[in-house]
Amino acid sequence: MPSVISISKLAKHYQVPEREAGLKAAAKGLFKRTYKTVKAVDGISFEIQPGEVVGFLGPNGAGKTTTLKMLSGLLHPTSGGASVLDYEPAKRPHDYLRQITLVMGNRNQLSWDLPALDSFDLQRAIYGIPTEDFKRTRDEFIELLDLKELVQKPVRNLSLGERMKMEIVGALLHKPKILFLDEPTLGLDVTMQKRIRTFVAEYNKRYGATVLLTSHYMADVEALCKRVIVIHHGQLLFDGDLAALVEKFSAFKTVGFTLDNPATDLSQYGDVVSIDGSRVTMRVPKEKASAVTSRLLNDLAVDDLTVEAAPIEDVIESVFSVKKEAME
Amino acid sequence: MQGFKLAFNYLRIGIMNEFQYRANLYIQILQTFIALATGLIGLNLVFNQVTELGGWNKAELLAVMGVFTVTGGFIRAAIQPNMERLMDEIREGTLDYALTKPADAQLLVSVREFRLWQMVDVVTGVIVMIVALSQLDWFVDFWSVLGFFSALFLGAIMIYCFWLIITSTAFWFVRVNEIANLFEGLYAAGRWPVDIYPNWLRYGLTFLVPVAFAVTVPAQALTGRLTLQTWFGALALTVTLFIVARTVWKVGVKNYSGASA
Amino acid sequence: MKRYFDYYTSMMKFSVMEQWQYPVANYFYMIGMLAEPVIYMVVWSAVANQQGGTVGGYTPGSLAAYYIVWTLVRQMNIAFTPYGWEWRIRQGRLSMSLLRPIHPLHEDVAFFAGWKVVMIILWIPLALALSLIFKPDLHPTLLEGVVFFVAIWMAYLIRTITLSLLGMVTFWTTRVSALFELYFAAELILSGRLVPLSLMPEAVQKAAWFFPFRWAFGYPIEVLVGNMPTNDLFIGLGMQFAWVFFGVVVVSQIWKVAIRRFSAVGG
Repeated sequence: MPSVISISKLAKHYQVPEREAGLKAAAKGLFKRTYKTVKAVDGISFEIQPGEVVGFLGPNGAGKTTTLKMLSGLLHPTSGGASVLDYEPAKRPHDYLRQITLVMGNRNQLSWDLPALDSFDLQRAIYGIPTEDFKRTRDEFIELLDLKELVQKPVRNLSLGERMKMEIVGALLHKPKILFLDEPTLGLDVTMQKRIRTFVAEYNKRYGATVLLTSHYMADVEALCKRVIVIHHGQLLFDGDLAALVEKFSAFKTVGFTLDNPATDLSQYGDVVSIDGSRVTMRVPKEKASAVTSRLLNDLAVDDLTVEAAPIEDVIESVFSVKKEAME
Repeated sequence: MQGFKLAFNYLRIGIMNEFQYRANLYIQILQTFIALATGLIGLNLVFNQVTELGGWNKAELLAVMGVFTVTGGFIRAAIQPNMERLMDEIREGTLDYALTKPADAQLLVSVREFRLWQMVDVVTGVIVMIVALSQLDWFVDFWSVLGFFSALFLGAIMIYCFWLIITSTAFWFVRVNEIANLFEGLYAAGRWPVDIYPNWLRYGLTFLVPVAFAVTVPAQALTGRLTLQTWFGALALTVTLFIVARTVWKVGVKNYSGASA
Repeated sequence: MKRYFDYYTSMMKFSVMEQWQYPVANYFYMIGMLAEPVIYMVVWSAVANQQGGTVGGYTPGSLAAYYIVWTLVRQMNIAFTPYGWEWRIRQGRLSMSLLRPIHPLHEDVAFFAGWKVVMIILWIPLALALSLIFKPDLHPTLLEGVVFFVAIWMAYLIRTITLSLLGMVTFWTTRVSALFELYFAAELILSGRLVPLSLMPEAVQKAAWFFPFRWAFGYPIEVLVGNMPTNDLFIGLGMQFAWVFFGVVVVSQIWKVAIRRFSAVGG
């Protein structure tokens, strides 16, 4: 099958004025500015097939958002090429824009003061969706995300999670073939994250859409993406199976619990990462995690026990360090 | 006295903060210049047609404009920024920080901000006044100088009290920023002596929004129009407004603390 | 064409609903704007009275008419300011608009057009109150009424165009408030906002002909208030159309350059 997204040696470099501290330097800067080049994205290449859901990972500032913006046409690449659905995104032809969507977890498009339904209708007019199609899709999404009670309420009265669900409905009403999701679950509680994940999976299944997703939450990536692409400092570090990535690089789990007596010696269970009042966070080798948690529950009066995969940053960091050694 | 020391410290920090943003000084100079130029154009257009307006000649109206600029600059430097910050804090419920300081809360919330660059307006206004007075062949006479400065001082206190009353209503009505916008529009009326306005507007500008006392009365003092009667009227209104403002503020704070506890 | 019609009606409806949420805030905003024309009106009426009843052809009655119509034209003049442009670039709203298959300037025009519907409705009682107080001398003919109606919407388009051009400067630099302030001062003098242009010196009146400002402000007021010869009514409309046509061409060219710049550095 031909790829729907294909980028080769894509790069985005910025010239930023360099500024030194102090008045003298500032005065000098008035006349002669020195610039340095920041390589936000530095020559990455990958292909994505129709219907794939790909996790796009990397620490903050790795170049994920920059790449997504280039793919959606908001930024012009400095060099290299991108082709999505056989369009050149940077030209932003309307026919292209009608087939994609970009959702950013920290930006909202819906009117704050009106019920989401009114904003949805505006989306219909913007994308020129035939009324019948529009109604069908809208009701289908409302049903899937269980929003029936909420669409009539002004958006400002909704919770953060409810608002995000509305945002996603609004962003998908034109049934785009390509979804760029940038931190769609940012700041949401676990149930809400799960809900949105399920919806994205369902949309992908029903419409065969292609999804490129960034997230700080490992759970999002695990639930949705078979394949992950990891970038760091604008360069591609890993492109392949998620299972392989996690297996290889995430050797620990994080165990958190509340303890009445924080003076207890915990060293026999694993490494203590932090103690914040009565809240303890520990790092435990992955294969020992279940044994340790049951011992904790038996031996001590612990409460609110949580077991989490190592933070995604940790995984990526290990990817990065290994890679660097491998390269040298 | 402890309170005044604290107030002085806030003022110092505010001024130092302003020095961080030197570019704003140039923008301020330009804005002042534009405001002055449009004011002068308006004045000239009027005096192309007539030689006096409502009993004031051109040089006297120039003096009014000078007072208007000085007072306006002072309001924007010292009163308005404090009150806008107070409004925001009441709305967002972050006023507690100020209320828990060991000083008189009203004094404290009134001195936390100071926009140094707005003093460009004050300086410009003084220059305009001097030019106007030189055209009037003014000679320094103890009583009119005293009358002018005391009237200016009373006017500033009145405007402050007016702002504090409006701002304190934020304790009950959350969105009062629009009322603040309204003040800016009404203050512009002070560019002309209130004598020229129809009665209802003149009373409004005297007692509802004390623009008359802040601009026209000091200008009257400068141009030898101030009567002892008006001066005592100003004093009485200042005292009244201060008491009202203090009371509204106190009740508001009580209401606020009650609601957040 | 049909699509754009649908878009405009939907967007205007949307904007009306949105603005209707805040009638009180919108009212205060409007009343705050009233102080300015009332001051001008009072000052110039005083001048007229002192001169035996007229100044530059205006009586207190026609001055009242001028400044009351002024308040409506001022509402029509509200468009996205350069400060608004700065704000939406910073907030990332422009990026979001660029992802939609419709030109962002259509969004602006349609949104503010809808808002105006709300403002006109709210304006009517205020205008009645002002009329009771200041007793305007206003007898428009039917033709003048029709031309006025077209002219205020053209005025809106002209001001949207000039402000958009100014707003696009923010793509290059963010320190532009000095430029904006100069623009607003020039507008105040040359548009008929400060005083009817006939009270201005001859030279200013001549100069005003060649700037867009008067076509976006003074001209619509004069259509209704001054007894313009029919010829002049249509010359004015012609000038408005010419400015809109010229403005659209310039804006669309600059827009391309500006967006290229935007996509190179920000986005």
